[in-house]
Amino acid sequence: MELTAQALFTGLLMGGFYGLIAVGLALVFGTMKVINLAHGELVLLAAYIAYALESQTGLNPMLSLPIAMAVVIVAALVTFYLTNQIKKDRELNSLILTFGLGIVLTNGLLMVFSADIYSTQSSWFMEGVVIADSLFSMRSEMIAFIVGIAALGGLYWWLNHTWHGRAIRSVSSNRDAAKLMGMNPTKAELWSWGVAGVLAALAGVMLYVTSVIHPPVGHSLTIKAFVITVLAGMGSIPGVLVGAIMIGVIEGLTTTYFQSSLAELASMTVFLLVLLVMPSGLFGKKGAH
Amino acid sequence: MKVLKLSSVLACALGAAVSFAQVDTAHAEKFVIGEHTPLTGSLARVGTGSHRGVVTGIKVLNDKYKGQHTFELKTIDDESNPAKAVSAVEKLASQGVIAFSGGYASGVIGPASEAANKANLPYITFGGVATALSQRGHEGFFRINSAAGYGKAVVGLVSEMDLKSVSIAYSNKEATHKMAEYIEKKLGEKGLKVSTHEYDAHVKDFKSIVNKIKLRDRSEAIIMVGYESEYVGILRAANLLKPNVKAMIGVWSLATGKMAKEFPDLMKNVYGTAMLPFPVSFDKPKQQTFYQAYKANYEEEPSYLEQFGYVQTRLLGEAIVRAFDKGDTSLKGIATELRKTDEMTISGRVRFDEKGDNPEFVQRVGQHQGGKIPLVWPAEEKTGEKVFPGTPWN
Repeated sequence: MELTAQALFTGLLMGGFYGLIAVGLALVFGTMKVINLAHGELVLLAAYIAYALESQTGLNPMLSLPIAMAVVIVAALVTFYLTNQIKKDRELNSLILTFGLGIVLTNGLLMVFSADIYSTQSSWFMEGVVIADSLFSMRSEMIAFIVGIAALGGLYWWLNHTWHGRAIRSVSSNRDAAKLMGMNPTKAELWSWGVAGVLAALAGVMLYVTSVIHPPVGHSLTIKAFVITVLAGMGSIPGVLVGAIMIGVIEGLTTTYFQSSLAELASMTVFLLVLLVMPSGLFGKKGAH
Repeated sequence: MKVLKLSSVLACALGAAVSFAQVDTAHAEKFVIGEHTPLTGSLARVGTGSHRGVVTGIKVLNDKYKGQHTFELKTIDDESNPAKAVSAVEKLASQGVIAFSGGYASGVIGPASEAANKANLPYITFGGVATALSQRGHEGFFRINSAAGYGKAVVGLVSEMDLKSVSIAYSNKEATHKMAEYIEKKLGEKGLKVSTHEYDAHVKDFKSIVNKIKLRDRSEAIIMVGYESEYVGILRAANLLKPNVKAMIGVWSLATGKMAKEFPDLMKNVYGTAMLPFPVSFDKPKQQTFYQAYKANYEEEPSYLEQFGYVQTRLLGEAIVRAFDKGDTSLKGIATELRKTDEMTISGRVRFDEKGDNPEFVQRVGQHQGGKIPLVWPAEEKTGEKVFPGTPWN
C-alpha cells in the first residue's frame, strides 16, 4: 500500500513537471503546426544559465529566472524567425530545421560547459517534504509540480481570456479566416513562440533544481515533450496536463511493480493504445491532424 | 701540408657525421595512432577524459623517442554511437594508422574493435569491460583493465563489512548488467541475500527503486552499478527516503574529485572504486612523468580516465617501437610485443593473457570523506580508515 501510494505520488509530481516541459512545444505546435525539435535544448539552455549564475555568483537558481527567460525568449524568437522563412512544406521542413538547431545548441552547450554533470549546489532544494508520514518528495520536486500546474493553468487562462490569447487560438483554428478578420497571424505566432520561451525557461530552471543536467539531456526532453503533445491532442493545454500525469503515473507504477527499465516501454505502449482508439489524442478535435 | 691534413680530417669527420645522421634518419619512423572516442553525445565526459590521457601518452612517447621516432594521433569523435565508431575506425584505417587506442563503452568498443580486426590493426582500450569483448578470439584486442577487477574490489569491500544482505541497483547497459550479475553471483556464493533492481538510462526519478529497497528488500547496503548522473539520482532518492542501510557503494565514476567537488553533501561516506586517493600527489618518477606531461596541456587535475588513457597509449607506443625494431609492425608483430608487456604502471601492474585481458588488474576502493577520498580497501593500499556504518544522511 505504502509502495503504491508513493508510486502514485511520484508519478503525479513527475507528471506536473513533464507537463511544464511539454506545454511550450504544444503551444507552438497548436499555433503554427511546427514541431519544435529544439524545444528540449531551449529548456536545457535555461538550466545551464541557472547553473552559470549559481556557480559564478552564488545566485539562487530561482532568481536566475528573469535572465534565463530573456535568453531563452531570444533563442525561441530566432527559431521562430528561421522557421518562418520556410515557404514550402513548413510542417515537414521545420522538423529538419529545428532538429538541426537542437544539435547546434547541444554542441554549443558542450563547448561552453563541457560534458560534466551539474545540479544545484543548494541543499535547500534537496530537503525532504513528507506528507502523511508516508509520501516523500524533495522540496524542489514540489516546487516544480506547483510551478508546472500554475504555468499550465495560467496559460489556459491567458489563451481564453486575453486578446493575444484569443488571437493565437483564432490563428490556430483558421489562419486565413483570422487574417480576413484583421488579425496579424505572424504577430500571433510571434507571441506563441515568446510564451513558449518563457515556459521553456521555467522548465529549465526547475530541471536544474530537481535533476542533473548535461548536454545530451535536451534530446530526451524533446522526445518526452513530443509524446505528451501528441497524446494530449493538437495544442490542447488540459490534454497536456492529463497526458503528462498519465505518463508520470504509468512510469511510477511500472518501476514499483515491475522494473524501471520497462517504464518507457509501458508509457509508449499506453501512448500507442490511446492513439489507436483516439487518433486525435486525448483532447484533440475529431478530424484534426 | 698541415692545413691539407686538417681539412681532410674535418672532411672525414663531417662525412662520418652526415652518414651517421643518415643512418639515424633511415631508422626513424613516424607512427600514426588512431583514436575514436566520444567527445560529444551521452559519453562525452568520460570520452573527453580518456582522450586527454591518450594525448598525454602521445606527448610522453614523443618526448622519449625525440630524434628517433615520432608519434602522431588522429582522433575522430564517435559521438557515443557504435555505427559512427565503426566508420571512424574504417576511415582512420584508410588513412594509414598503425593501431588504435581509445573507445568508451562496451557497446561501442565491440563493433569498433571488430572493424579494427577486419582491417588487421591492433586495438587497445580501457573503456569497455564486458567479458564478451575478449572472448572473440581477436589476436589484436587488448585492454588494461577488466570487469573482474572492479567486481573483486566491490565484493572484497562488502565481504569486509560483514553484511547479511545487499541490494544492487544497476543500469541495463551491457557492461553494467554484466557487472551486476558478477557481484550478485559472488556475494550470493558468500551467503549474502542479494536483491537486484534494473533501471533504464532514461530514468530520472529513483525514488520508486529506493523505496522498494527500503520497504521490501530491507537490505544493509546499496550497491550502484551505473554512471554519474544515475548515482546522483539514486543518492538523492536515498537521501530523501533514508533507507536503513549501512553503506552506499558505487562501482566506477564515483570516487572522483569531480564528484567530490560538484556534490559534496551527497557524496559523504559514499564508496567507489579508485586507483589513487584524492587529492593525489604524484610522487614517484613514473607518476611525475605522466603528471607533468598532462599538466603541460590541461589545467584540471587528472582522474582515473586520464591515467588509463595514458597508460594504454604508452604501452601501445612502446610495443610499436619494439615491433619496428624487429622489422614487423603488422598486427601480429605489434600484438606479439604487447603480449610481452609486464610493467608496473601508474595504474598498477599490466600484463596481457592470451585473450588480451590484464589478469593483474584489481581496483581499489575509496570513500568520500570531507571532500577527500582516501583509499580504504584493500588493507595493503589503505590511505585512510573507512567510516562504517556511514551514509550521506547519517
